[in-house]
Amino acid sequence: MTDIERMLADALRPIEPPEMLSGRVEDTLGAITQAAAEELSDWAEALSESELRALRDPRNWVRPVVAVSAGSVATGALILLEMRRRGRSQAKGGLRSLTERVRP
Amino acid sequence: MSAEEAKKAESFEPASLDPAAKAELDRAFEELYRTHLRDVYSYAYYKVGNQHDAEDLTEQAFLQAYRHFDRARRESNGRPLRPWLIRIAHNLASNYYRDRSRRPQTPLENAEPIPAKHGTEAIAEGREELRQVMENLQHLPDDRREALIMRFALGMDNREIARALGRTDGATKVLIHRAIKQLQEEMGVDDD
Repeated sequence: MTDIERMLADALRPIEPPEMLSGRVEDTLGAITQAAAEELSDWAEALSESELRALRDPRNWVRPVVAVSAGSVATGALILLEMRRRGRSQAKGGLRSLTERVRP
Repeated sequence: MSAEEAKKAESFEPASLDPAAKAELDRAFEELYRTHLRDVYSYAYYKVGNQHDAEDLTEQAFLQAYRHFDRARRESNGRPLRPWLIRIAHNLASNYYRDRSRRPQTPLENAEPIPAKHGTEAIAEGREELRQVMENLQHLPDDRREALIMRFALGMDNREIARALGRTDGATKVLIHRAIKQLQEEMGVDDD
């Protein structure tokens, strides 16, 4: 080991984490896994009872279909507007470039 | 791995495993955590230069590691996961400075060196030498400094450092060699 390596080894010693850090990380991880497990079981229970029934009911299919249709119409309108806007700007650009070319 | 499999792996959460698999995963993670807590904390401490932020960074690194642990374990093919952990801490440290709109406040200078020598004079002399090392480390480019922290504070070998930095083994060997050479020149220390 060279001098500089010895100095580096002395200067950059591993640092012991504070004792409370270990407990803190474990507590947080514990809380997260607990919350995730509860969330999952609540979600599964709710889905197996009321939501599954609701999903099977054709009366509830109308709302999603309407939402999808409305979304499609809105998207179509936006595309149309954008096409018109581009058409106009292209026309302007074409005119401008033409006048520039014509200008002596 | 197909695109579908990759997507599935990406969205993986430990809570979605069956209870036995999750218990086994948690045990393995606990072992990883106990083995490498000091490494991650040391790295974080030398990066940010104070205990409070180093603790936050360490905690965040392990929480993020936990989320992707199963996938990392599957993809590591038995290779050590320490470089992966350090890489997480490295990325978090970069975000930490960006999000809080601040730069490291000369972390290595703030970091308190621990002298190895004994006796009052020897300690004073040792501390001065260590202070100089810390100060000169501060002048190195980030990647060189990081490589030296990994090598000397964490005891990582070239291959591990290469994986943590996302470089080839050869490039890492050159990086460390240049880092030591630069430090030697700046401190006016001989080769031996």
